[in-house]
Amino acid sequence: MDESARAQAVSLMDRRKALNAFRIGDALFHRITWSAAIFVLLLLGAIIGALIWGAAPALSKFGFAFIYSERWSVNNEIFGALSPIYGTLMSSLIAMLIAVPVGIGIAIFLTELCPMGLRRPIGIAIELLAGIPSIIYGIWGFFVLAPFLKEYVMPALDEWLAPVPILNVIFEGPGYAASLLTAGLILAIMVLPFITAISRDVFATVPPVLKEAAFGVGCTKWEVVRNVVIPYTRVGVVGGVMLGLGRALGETMAVTFVIGNSKRISFSLLDPATTISATIANEFQEASGMYTSALLALGLLLFGITFTVLAISRVMLARLDKKAGA
Amino acid sequence: MIVNGYSRRKTRNAVMMGLCWAAAIFGLSWLLLILGALVWNGIAGLNLSVFTEVTPGPNSEGGLKNAIVGSLILTGLGVAIGTPIGMLAGTYMAEYGRHSRITNYIRFVNDILLSAPSIIIGLFIYQVVVVPMSNFSALAGALALAVIVIPVVVRTTEDMLLLVPLPLREAAAALGLPRSHVLLKVSYRAARAGLITGVLLAVARASGETAPLLFTALSSQFFSLDLFKPMASLPVIINNFAGKGYANWQQLAWTGALLITLSVLTLSIAARILSAQRTQK
Amino acid sequence: MTDVMLDARPKAAGAIAGAGLPEKITLRNLRFYYGDHLALKTINLPLYDHRVTAFIGPSGCGKSTLLRVMNRMYDLYPKQRAEGEVLLDGENILSPKQDLNLLRARVGMVFQKPTPFPMTIYDNIAFGIKLYENLSKSEMDGRVEKALRGAALWNEVKDKLNANGMSLSGGQQQRLCIARTVAIKPEVILFDEPCSALDPISTAKIEELIDELKAQYTIAIVTHNMQQASRVSDYTAFMYLGELIEFGETENMFMSPTQKRTQDYITGRFG
Repeated sequence: MDESARAQAVSLMDRRKALNAFRIGDALFHRITWSAAIFVLLLLGAIIGALIWGAAPALSKFGFAFIYSERWSVNNEIFGALSPIYGTLMSSLIAMLIAVPVGIGIAIFLTELCPMGLRRPIGIAIELLAGIPSIIYGIWGFFVLAPFLKEYVMPALDEWLAPVPILNVIFEGPGYAASLLTAGLILAIMVLPFITAISRDVFATVPPVLKEAAFGVGCTKWEVVRNVVIPYTRVGVVGGVMLGLGRALGETMAVTFVIGNSKRISFSLLDPATTISATIANEFQEASGMYTSALLALGLLLFGITFTVLAISRVMLARLDKKAGA
Repeated sequence: MIVNGYSRRKTRNAVMMGLCWAAAIFGLSWLLLILGALVWNGIAGLNLSVFTEVTPGPNSEGGLKNAIVGSLILTGLGVAIGTPIGMLAGTYMAEYGRHSRITNYIRFVNDILLSAPSIIIGLFIYQVVVVPMSNFSALAGALALAVIVIPVVVRTTEDMLLLVPLPLREAAAALGLPRSHVLLKVSYRAARAGLITGVLLAVARASGETAPLLFTALSSQFFSLDLFKPMASLPVIINNFAGKGYANWQQLAWTGALLITLSVLTLSIAARILSAQRTQK
Repeated sequence: MTDVMLDARPKAAGAIAGAGLPEKITLRNLRFYYGDHLALKTINLPLYDHRVTAFIGPSGCGKSTLLRVMNRMYDLYPKQRAEGEVLLDGENILSPKQDLNLLRARVGMVFQKPTPFPMTIYDNIAFGIKLYENLSKSEMDGRVEKALRGAALWNEVKDKLNANGMSLSGGQQQRLCIARTVAIKPEVILFDEPCSALDPISTAKIEELIDELKAQYTIAIVTHNMQQASRVSDYTAFMYLGELIEFGETENMFMSPTQKRTQDYITGRFG
C-alpha cells in the first residue's frame, strides 16, 4: 500500500516534470502566434503610414484643392485629383449597375431555375472565373471588347439616344475605344462572378422548410424569391455587393488598358477618362519629387475610399445581423 | 377577381424568371467569350521557344523564359514569406485570441487588407523597400506578393481552425496536452486539407497579381536569378507588351495570359478537389 | 509497476458519515457561473474511490457542467468560473496554482460524441503517452496493446493499427477514445453521455467496459438514460435546475427515493 502510493507519487512527479518541459515551448508558441497577429495589425498601420508620409508634401502644398481641382499639370507641378476620382467612382458605378442585377439574376437562376445537373458545373465555372487575374480581363478588353464597342455599339448609342434629353449627353459620340463605358463594362464583367458566387452562397443558406412553406401557400417562384429568399439573405447579398464594389474601385489592371488615361472630365461615357489606380499605374515609374508625392496622395485617397466602403459594409452587416438576431 | 390576380401573378413570375434566365445566358456568354479569345489567341503563339528563350525586342524572335522563371521565383518567395506569418496570425485568432477583443480588430484589419487595392500594396513596398534600397528588386516584388498572401492565409487559417470540431479540441485538452500540442498535432492535422487549400488559393492569387509588381520587381529583358535586381514576371510582361503595337509582343502577351490563366485554374481546381475530399470525410 | 500504481488508494479527505468509503473527489460548496448566470448552486458531493457515480437529471440541470468542473474543462472558455472547493485527494484543484495539464492527465474525460484524432489508431493512443514518457518502440507497442485491450478493442483493430481512427465505427471510435484516456493512466475518468450517439449493441459494450474499469479507476458518468444509470453505477446523484436534489446508493435511490422530485423524474413524470 505504502509502496504503491509512493509509486503513484513518483509517477505524478514524472508527469509534472514532463509537462514543465513543455511549458516554455507552449509559452513561446503562444508569443509567436501573438506576434504574427500583431504584425497583421501593424501592417495596415504601416501601409497607411507609408502612404501618408509619401503623400504629405503634395497634400500640404495643395490642401483640399487636391480633391476638388481638375488640373493635373506635370510641367507646372500642379496636381488636382478630381478627374481620377470622378473616373474611379463613375466606372465603378457603371460596373455595379450592370453586375449587381445580372449577378443576382444568375444566382437566382442557379438556386431556383437551373436544371440540377448543370448547377454544380456552372457554379464551379463561376467560382473559377472569380479567381482569374484581372490583367486577363484587361487585355481581353483592350484587344476584343474595346474595338467592338467602338465599331458597333458606340455609333448606335450615339445615334439612337440623340433625341433623348440627358441620355444624349451621357452617350454623346463619336466615342473612343478606350472610354469610361469600356472600363465600366470590363469592371462589370470582372466583378460579375464575384457577386454571383457570393449571392449564390447566401441564397443556399435559406432553410428549405421556409421556401417549402411559401410554395405550400401557393407562392410562385418569383414570390418565393422576392418574399422569402431575398429578405432572408439581404445581409449577405449587401455584403457581397459591397465587397464587389470595393474590388471595382481599386481595380488597376483591368481598367488601365481600356480607359484612355485622359485627365479631362467629360460627361459622355463614350469619352476617355482615367481612374486613380490607372493614373498611378501609368505614371508612377516616370515620376519624381512632387509628382511622386501627388501619385502617393492619389494612392492614399484610393485607400481611403475603399477603406470607407468596406467599413460601411461591415457596419451595415453588423446592424442587419443584430436586427436579424432580435 | 382571384383568378384575375392569379394570372397577373403568373405573368409576373414568368417575366422575372425569364429575366433570370437571360441574366445567366448574358453573364455566362461574356465569360465564355473571354476564355474563348484567350485560348484562340494564346494557343497560336504556344511553342517550345516560349519556354526556352527570353523576351525579345520589338519584331524579333523570343519567348517568355525569363518571365516564367521570374513569376515562379517571385510567387514562390512571396508565398514562402507570407504563409507562415498568415498561418501563425490565423492560429492566434482562432485559438489563443478566439474570445478576445483584439481578434475582432485583427479580423477587421485583415478583411481590409484582403480587399485593399493591390496597387496600394505596390506603393507601400516601393516606399518601405525600394526607396531605402534605392533600386527595384525581385526581393521587393516578393515582399509585395507576401503582403498579398498574408491576409488570404490568415482568413483561411482562421476559418479552417474554427471548423475543427470543439469536442476534438476538448478531447485533446482532456488528455492533458499542452495547448501548443493540441494545436500542432491535432487541430492543424484536422484542418490540414483546408489549410493547404488556403495556401493554394494564395499561390493562385499571387501568381496573377500585376499591380504590386509594377514598381517593385519592375521587369527585365534578361534572364536573371539575382534577388537584388529587377526581375521579369508574366503579368508585368503582359502589361508591358500588350499595349505597344508590335505584333510579336502582342502575341507573347496573349500566350503569357493563357499560361497564367491555365496555372491559376489548375491551382484553383486542385484546391477544390482537396476541399471536396475534406467535406466527404 | 502499473498494477501497483492502480491499486493505490489514497486516504479519504473526509468521508461523508455513513458511507465510510474513501473519497477520491470531494465537492465543497461548489458554485458555477456562466457569466452572471448561476448554473450550479452550492453543490456538496463525494465521488467514492473505485466506484461509479452516475449523474442524472433533465437537460440543463447542470450535470455536464459539474463534470466539466472536475477536470476544469471550463477553463477553455472565458466568462465561466467556479467557486468553492473541488478536492482531488484532498487538494483543491480550483486553486489558480493548479497545473491544468497535469490535472487533466489525472482526470480523464470521454465525450458524448466519439472524438478520434485525425491520425492512425496506433498514434491516437501513443500520442498521449509520448507526452509523459520516453518509451522504446517495443514498450510503446506494449502500452498501446494494453490500452486497446483495456478498452475491449484490441481484437477488432489489432490488424489495422495503421488505419485512420476515423475509419472505425461509432462504437469502436468511442472505445478508442476510452483506450486513449486509459493509456495515460488517469485516476479518475469522467464520462459525458458516452453512449448517446451509439446503437444499443455498442452501448452494451461500453457499459460492460465501465463496469470493468471501476476496478482500476474512479468513474463519474452523466447519462440521460435511467436504465443505464441503474445498470452501471454504484451511486447516483439527481440534479435539477443546478441543484443537487438527492445523492445516494443507486439501488436505494431507484427503489425508494426520499425526494418527490427524484421519484417523479425516475418514474418519467417529467424530464
